[in-house]
Amino acid sequence: MSERAAAALALEAQGLAHRYAPGRGLEAVGFTLTAPGAVAIVGANGAGKSTLLRIVAGLLRPSQGQLRVSENGRDLDAAARRQSVGFASPDLHFYDELSAAENLEFAAAARGLADPPAAAREALARVGLEARARDRVPALSSGMRQRLRLAFALLGGPRLLLIDEPGSHLDDGGRAALRAIVEEERRHGLVLVAGNEEGDRSLADQRIELRGGGLGRLS
Amino acid sequence: MLSRGLLFVWIAAWLVAAFTWAPLVPVLGETTRVLYFHIPAAWVTVVALGWSMVHSVLFLVRRRMEHDDHAAAAAELGLLFCVVATISGSLWAKAMWGAYWNWDPRETSIFFLLLIYFAYLALRSAVDEPQRRARLSAIYSVIAFVTVPFLIFVVPRLYFSLHPDPIINPRGKVDMDPRIRIAFFALLVGFTVVFFWLLSLRLRLARIERRRLEASAAR
Amino acid sequence: MPTKGSSSGAAVWAVFRKECRTEWRTRYGWNSALLFALATLISVSFAVGRLTGRSDLLSALLWIVLLFAALASLAHAFVREVEGDTMTLLRLVASPLAIASGKLLFNLLFLVLLELIAVPLYFVLMSAPAPPAGPFLGVLALGSLALAASATLVGALIAQTRGRGALFAGVSLPVLLPVLAAAVSGTRQALDGGDAMMEMRLLAAYGAAMIAAGLLLADHLWEE
Repeated sequence: MSERAAAALALEAQGLAHRYAPGRGLEAVGFTLTAPGAVAIVGANGAGKSTLLRIVAGLLRPSQGQLRVSENGRDLDAAARRQSVGFASPDLHFYDELSAAENLEFAAAARGLADPPAAAREALARVGLEARARDRVPALSSGMRQRLRLAFALLGGPRLLLIDEPGSHLDDGGRAALRAIVEEERRHGLVLVAGNEEGDRSLADQRIELRGGGLGRLS
Repeated sequence: MLSRGLLFVWIAAWLVAAFTWAPLVPVLGETTRVLYFHIPAAWVTVVALGWSMVHSVLFLVRRRMEHDDHAAAAAELGLLFCVVATISGSLWAKAMWGAYWNWDPRETSIFFLLLIYFAYLALRSAVDEPQRRARLSAIYSVIAFVTVPFLIFVVPRLYFSLHPDPIINPRGKVDMDPRIRIAFFALLVGFTVVFFWLLSLRLRLARIERRRLEASAAR
Repeated sequence: MPTKGSSSGAAVWAVFRKECRTEWRTRYGWNSALLFALATLISVSFAVGRLTGRSDLLSALLWIVLLFAALASLAHAFVREVEGDTMTLLRLVASPLAIASGKLLFNLLFLVLLELIAVPLYFVLMSAPAPPAGPFLGVLALGSLALAASATLVGALIAQTRGRGALFAGVSLPVLLPVLAAAVSGTRQALDGGDAMMEMRLLAAYGAAMIAAGLLLADHLWEE
């Protein structure tokens, strides 16, 4: 396990909102979060949990508001964000023609990591998928694919880890691995977990609750 | 109300003048009359395309939907005027040179503009989500902008010209009888004003559409 | 974790290798493109017969075959991503510019490989003598670059529409026509023994303009 200093990462959101269509989307939300730590994003279906994570990951440009992702006081641009962020969500799919390891090697190489095969191996080991590394993605069960998503998010040691529906499809072994991962990552950086299941929420010590119309923060 | 009436009177009066008061161009004979329609229509086609492209760029930079409204409305009207220009030009060609279509540089250029308009509107029709539709069509507009100078300068050099004026110059021939010139410019201005008037109507429609959509969704 | 120097170059290369690898595993895109090119070629040959000495028709038909082959295959790289839902993955690891560049390199390679088979076959089927190498290959190379650059850019857009690639031919036609015009003229010059310098310059300029447009527009291509 490589040594990683605790990142001084900060997330600052102001009036962040996104409208998909009139009446649908993320209502304005604001918060300030600093690493290290783990935060659960909770709310009813449609409150915008996934939307919020996508905005933080840089996949979605919010229709309103601002988000600042900074490290040691300096704002991260899109390229830097790609290096620091690990993202996993149910709509993250992999290349069916490639094996699990090859998918991760591609991701690591594209991100510019120094030793893609090693990074891939390490990530697969953390989620317990080493045995299936050479299997093509269609051959993996839904639980294994969820583990692969987590492995993808862990590639290269992210300082900001975003997981949407972390526990979906996971068996007991998977959940144990997930818990260990979050415990480990929350010591180094910031972890944001979004989901409805109690098991997901209990991974974090802080919460952000998304409601139609506002933000409530309960610690 | 008053300005609309003035516009109609203006155009009607100058049309009558073009047919009765202005003389014929010796070479063209009776077909002179077409230049009062054909060239202004071609001119408006170009103006409309330019307007649409400028607003496409503005949309990409500022991301305001009104720019997309302008771009789309101008394109629809541009197509209309382009069809008028193409047909009137084709009829003129038949009368002057015996064939409806010759692929000479100017005919090719106007046909090409027709293709751009069709492609742009076809692209728009294939995207349902308004934001994405605006973004994709704006990008296409910029790409089309790149092709226009190539077709205006490539085509004349590669193909033989039958057209009276080989350079795209909406003011037409250099030595025009003063009466022809006056009537022509008057109608040129008239057509341009008609375009902007129709544009304003189309924009109003677009805005009402959007408000209606928002109202029905909010219910 | 330690990273390499310029990660953008690494990303372009990684995307390119990934495209090659996934295409190689199924060869679906290649097979259909090759079949389509051959079908077009054979249809033309069947309909027209021998074209010895007709440099105007020879050059026109060659580029129509290449154009159709491009239209049938170059949007595939993007459509596949959209259909496989892998755009999220791609956007998380590479910049939009790196993605577009990697796909462009792949499309270029794809087109070149297609031409390696289709072009010699064309001359054989048409019973036309092989042209002097220099100008002909120059026009072919620059024309292919312009074709690939334009088609890649439009393909990126089309893949995001309803109906995916269906509109590709119609929407890309205006953008590909300048290439067609210059390439046909240049090839004809080359077949007649001329130097085709003007056409090659035109094609190079067009290719460069399209690449420049891509550089400017890349960030907007997939932004949600």
